[in-house]
Amino acid sequence: MSMIEVRNLIYSYNNETNAVDDISFDIKEGTYTTIIGHNGSGKSTLAKLMAGLLEPKAGEIKIDGMVLNEENLPLIRNELGIVFQNPDNQFIGSTVKDDIAFGLENRQVPSEEMEKIIEEYIEKVNLTKFMNSEPQNLSGGQKQRVAIAGVMAMQPKIIIFDEATSMLDPKGKKEIKKLMYDLAESDQFTIISITHDIEEVMQSDDCIVMNKGRLFMHNTPLKVFEKAEQLKKIDLDVPFVFKVKEAFNKKHIRLKSDDLKGLVDELCQYRSNR
Amino acid sequence: MKNMVFGKYIPVDSFMHRLDPRAKLIGVFLLMIALFVPDNWWVFLGLGILIFIGLLMAKIGVKMVLQSFKPMIMMMIFLLVINVLSVRTGDPLFVIGSFTIYSDAVFNTLFVVVRLMLMICITTLLTATTKPLDLTLGIEWILKPLNRFHFPSHEIAMMVSIALRFIPTIIEETMRIMNAQKSRGVDFENGKIGEKIKAILSLIVPLFSVAFERAYELADAMEARAYVPGAPRTRYHILKFKMSDFIFGLVCLIALGLSIASRFYL
Repeated sequence: MSMIEVRNLIYSYNNETNAVDDISFDIKEGTYTTIIGHNGSGKSTLAKLMAGLLEPKAGEIKIDGMVLNEENLPLIRNELGIVFQNPDNQFIGSTVKDDIAFGLENRQVPSEEMEKIIEEYIEKVNLTKFMNSEPQNLSGGQKQRVAIAGVMAMQPKIIIFDEATSMLDPKGKKEIKKLMYDLAESDQFTIISITHDIEEVMQSDDCIVMNKGRLFMHNTPLKVFEKAEQLKKIDLDVPFVFKVKEAFNKKHIRLKSDDLKGLVDELCQYRSNR
Repeated sequence: MKNMVFGKYIPVDSFMHRLDPRAKLIGVFLLMIALFVPDNWWVFLGLGILIFIGLLMAKIGVKMVLQSFKPMIMMMIFLLVINVLSVRTGDPLFVIGSFTIYSDAVFNTLFVVVRLMLMICITTLLTATTKPLDLTLGIEWILKPLNRFHFPSHEIAMMVSIALRFIPTIIEETMRIMNAQKSRGVDFENGKIGEKIKAILSLIVPLFSVAFERAYELADAMEARAYVPGAPRTRYHILKFKMSDFIFGLVCLIALGLSIASRFYL
């Protein structure tokens, strides 16, 4: 079943060029989809449109069978959470606990139930020690984990990560990626991640490539990277393995493996077979 | 900026810390009035002792209180000079050259200075023992009756608590921009006034631009987490009056009563 259906979506910031230009796609329930593309290719705009933070100029978005419009927006907000790029600008409460409480207060969760929910989700992101910490005493990665806990506590069906790791140091990046993979594996959520990280794309079920506001490709990561030549045309990087495969392909040598070790084995075999 | 004492929360556990923020707000308000009413030294002494006991109960050190007076010293000297020059009543105390200093000038200044010092003590007592967030909750509760006249007390409390939340972030940002500009040769410390204004502008313009960007992103984040201004919300922190809050309020009320009575009977 499709969790998200996007049909002929158009959005423009300035009425001259379309930031999102006639895009249609489906995202299945429980899948992990990455969206890649250059800065200004319309990735973040697309995320904001899906979250109902921007109103499309034309086209339709359906979330869990509901059309996204003014009337359905409160219902859709319950189904969809979004983790933004800047860890500081989404920390609303004065402490970790207060920040997670913010979403619950908006959802009108009874006060006496909040404490239990908050502690449960703080534990899920491994921040129990920092429960009462203020944002200025947390690292970027820890703040992003708070943001994820805040979103999870609202029990959405869809979580969008809008370049959630791009402002973090390598350690924070690793932590957040691990958390994201765990969430994807739990199959409780449909996950959409906007990213520049090719390694992350390889982990996802599906990949959407955006270019100049248009949908360039929508396929499994393997199928996407097999078209290395096309991706090169829009200046997108391809994992090393696929670059090697592409180079051999030009010499009419077809390699099958998608990971480095398999590729090395295959090449050795190829040599000894000759 | 980080060493500012005035208005800073001191995270310890004490009787004063445990009081309800609403009780503290009301109590401080009553004591403020009590300070403005009297014109008798004995009443000031009494109020001073009461406030001193309060500071002791809040585990606030004398050193911190003295530090919080620091920014006031210049103002106090200024007050003294103005009074000495303008007040011409009371007994002549001593003569410098052809200029006589009168007793009323000195006493008037002392009155104002003592009042100011005690007021600083009271506000320190409030801010050092109450978390900013609790303070906004208290203010929201006090402003609640105005809701009837469509006064957005909840939105204002939300604004204040977000402003408080972002103060450290913006200070950090300021330091970063300052260092960035210094590394590009901007001199914030030396130079003529014109040059200094130019230097400050190089700090303020990027700071504002970044602050607006933050505000937009924060608005998106709040909206994405289902915040609708004016919509009903439940609360995570619920304030509860305890016996100690009533006793504290009563003590403050008695202090105010005695201070008003002193105007008539002393």
